[in-house]
Amino acid sequence: MTDIKAIEEAGSYVAAQAGKAGATYADFRAVAITAESVRLSDGKPDLINRKVTFGYGIRALADGAWGFAATPDLTKASVSDSLREAVQIARSSAKLAPRPAQLAPLTPAQGDYKTPLQTDPFTLALKEKVQYLQHLDELLKATQGINSTGTFLDFRREEKWFYSSAGSVVTQNIVHSGGGFTAAAKRSRREVGERSFPTSGGQYASGGYEIITALGMESACPEIAQQALALLDAPSLTERRTNLILAGDLVSLQLHESVGHPLELDRVFGSERNFSGTSFATPEKLGNLRYAASIVTIESDPTAPAGLGSFGFDDEGVPAHAATLIDKGLLVNYLSSRETAARVNKDSTGAMRAESWTDLPLVRMTNINLTPGSGTLEQLIADTEDGVLISTPDKWSIDDRRENFQLGGEIAWEIKDGKRGQIFKNAVYSGSTVDFWNSCDRICGPEEYRIWGTPSCGKGQPGQNMRTGQGASPARFRNVKVGQPA
Amino acid sequence: MPDPSDKILSSLDAALKRSAADATELVYIGTRDATTRFAENGIHQNMLSSDGRVIVRLMKDGRVAVSSTNDLSTSGLDRAIADALEIASFLAPDAAFPGFVRSDTAPVVNAFDPAMDSCPPERRAQAVSHIVDQAKPAGVQASGLFRLTTNRVAIANSAGTRQYHQETVAELSVSASDDPTFGQGWSTGVSHKIDQLDPKELGRIAIEKAVRSRNPQALPVGEYTVILEPAAVGQLLLFLGFLAFSGKSFAEGRGIFSGKIGELVTGANITVHDDPFLAEFTGMPFDYEGVPKRKMALIENGVARGVAHDSRSAKLAGVESTGHALPADNPRGAYPKNLVMAPGDATLNDMIASTSMGLLITHFWYINYLNPMKAQVSGSTRDGTFLIENGAITKPVRNLRATPAILDAFAKADQIGRDRVVYPQYSAAMYVPAMKIAGMTFVEDTE
Repeated sequence: MTDIKAIEEAGSYVAAQAGKAGATYADFRAVAITAESVRLSDGKPDLINRKVTFGYGIRALADGAWGFAATPDLTKASVSDSLREAVQIARSSAKLAPRPAQLAPLTPAQGDYKTPLQTDPFTLALKEKVQYLQHLDELLKATQGINSTGTFLDFRREEKWFYSSAGSVVTQNIVHSGGGFTAAAKRSRREVGERSFPTSGGQYASGGYEIITALGMESACPEIAQQALALLDAPSLTERRTNLILAGDLVSLQLHESVGHPLELDRVFGSERNFSGTSFATPEKLGNLRYAASIVTIESDPTAPAGLGSFGFDDEGVPAHAATLIDKGLLVNYLSSRETAARVNKDSTGAMRAESWTDLPLVRMTNINLTPGSGTLEQLIADTEDGVLISTPDKWSIDDRRENFQLGGEIAWEIKDGKRGQIFKNAVYSGSTVDFWNSCDRICGPEEYRIWGTPSCGKGQPGQNMRTGQGASPARFRNVKVGQPA
Repeated sequence: MPDPSDKILSSLDAALKRSAADATELVYIGTRDATTRFAENGIHQNMLSSDGRVIVRLMKDGRVAVSSTNDLSTSGLDRAIADALEIASFLAPDAAFPGFVRSDTAPVVNAFDPAMDSCPPERRAQAVSHIVDQAKPAGVQASGLFRLTTNRVAIANSAGTRQYHQETVAELSVSASDDPTFGQGWSTGVSHKIDQLDPKELGRIAIEKAVRSRNPQALPVGEYTVILEPAAVGQLLLFLGFLAFSGKSFAEGRGIFSGKIGELVTGANITVHDDPFLAEFTGMPFDYEGVPKRKMALIENGVARGVAHDSRSAKLAGVESTGHALPADNPRGAYPKNLVMAPGDATLNDMIASTSMGLLITHFWYINYLNPMKAQVSGSTRDGTFLIENGAITKPVRNLRATPAILDAFAKADQIGRDRVVYPQYSAAMYVPAMKIAGMTFVEDTE
């Protein structure tokens, strides 16, 4: 059981003793994570798993450089040793620091944040969850030809205690719920039609079990099963240039890969060059680059209800707040930390996040939300004379500067004279980030808007998996290269 | 620190005795991670973290459940066992689970460097300075990673298996760049012993390549002969492994090798083994179910020979486990983590000299599936791509996106390197040569 009194004592100790230990700034972040995963294959348990982890990390700034030490040992001696270790590491870094770290100003934060939720998923009996997934399996296999299913539910609770030598004291209790299914019609190893719902890898959001019940998985089963059957004999999408309509989940992926990542300011400055790469969106482009068409406005908003990237404070204690990144097509800000924001003379957007207590916070996406336009997806299709609609991401690759990308979805429909036609499998499209976003000529409205959750966004060395959200409606892009050579 | 194996195994033994399950498996995974990252010719992230966790897998009345905790106290382990028992009580019996078996104690491999386990941060900083000191006068920015990890794994199950392994891994990766001219270079090295990594040499390779790749020229997309440096071969091999060598997808009939064992699947000059006892870089000598590993053939002279199984996929396929289980809380199933490709007889210079028109590729970035049924992936070149004309490197070229079907690409390998290097990625280590492939399609200029 988590010893909250010991955590509070440790946090207070680090905040108070940082200066004596040699740090000009230090913060203490304890994290307790409980996760439950329920995965069924063909209605039978594949992996039912419950995981708990607890520990804390101390980040110290000494001689203008950073050090970080993390351990699960909460004894007083260990807390003291870890603070000393973090300072020693910082001093060893200082001799080779690129520049003394300067931090954007921050009023010390005091607060307690809890994910708003109706039903705590950890209070529900596992048996109910298993039975629900078995029910989905039965619903899917009610369609003749569906002979393989995967169904799953995932829940995660993250409790955090943050103390800083600048006087911040913050506690948070963040709950995530996610679920989804796949249905496959298999004739042979190479003859397979497969669909996922609500999207590939499932949909995740902050909130309780009400997130799962609102996904509409039961009612979606017949249609998704039929689509899997249709894909069994569908042709691959062949190469052409055409108008491209992306379903909301693919707009979400496009936002994630070609807006969120290139606007991480640590990445812009080269912090990730050795692994994830850099960004074409270099600082001289701030306020100058016409990143997207004028109908495109994108903001970082960790306060958005139910977003998977929602929280009360980032891992530097910066209160969550919305920040416009692209305003009517113009690049106006980055995702930032206190240190990186200071380098562009701005305040932090509150995007420093760590996967767990073992990890250093990095600049990460929160919820990267594309402001909705108007109309429904069906209206957008009706407005499209010739094009392709692609849904449900299952392929993605983008270069290390986040310019050239090749993404794709499980299913595509030809659009002819405003109507859906032929279904395609192996649907890919490609382009270059700025050209692509400038070709966006219509975005669907609030009725189609959803914050899609990405539960495993990789970054950093050692690798960290962050949970991010992307608010998106379906959107149309003109004259895009789709498909592969026949 | 003293060898903690007795203490860890005793703790697992005691917890096993307290378990009320019919059969129980406890896997301890401990990690000490000291990582220094550098960018802009200086250290920007520097950390030390330590953690240990125990994964509980147990069977009660035929029901199987998994839990894990990093609370290694008696009460913490008992709570994790109780968690798993509670989960099991809700489940139906799992007929596909083969149960736990007693395995022989695996041979001890020498992969532990005491000097690394206690290495101070100043030593990591010194290595970085060796690189930065070369980068600055060359007018390039050095970035990278110097990571020292100590990994300890202990396994005890109620059938009597007891295994313990400890290893240290030093990984140094260097990127060098000259942003105004788009010059990029990269190198990497890995060893169980810290003294066997040479920061100066790895820095030199990356920096020289960055200087050579300044002002890359655009090249039309299309098909080119390519010479892949070992890291690029390793990246393709890793993804082939995900698609072809997984016992789970094989047993379920979804794998690339399903129904193809014994058939020619790629070029006759391609041989791939999984070998944890490779002298150049030993791996863990048993898997996460405690089954001892052995060298096994995956592709032999182009013929599919086998896939990696854990006990579950082995039962489904009607064979014995090959000793490739991953931790029980991993849903993906078995995977070989010590992939070794047999060498050829060509040097890199031989390959270049014999190429009238082609590309030399340092490595790829963001390889991902494009058409898994065909083992086809998509990825862009990175950190130095060069045009070869008439047997010599003539100029750097801009990065390109390739979409190779891996087995088809390997089938076109007309030269394979004599020299091999250990290439680490995604917790696997590959021992791979360079390769000349007569035709790879590039579909986009990425810049």
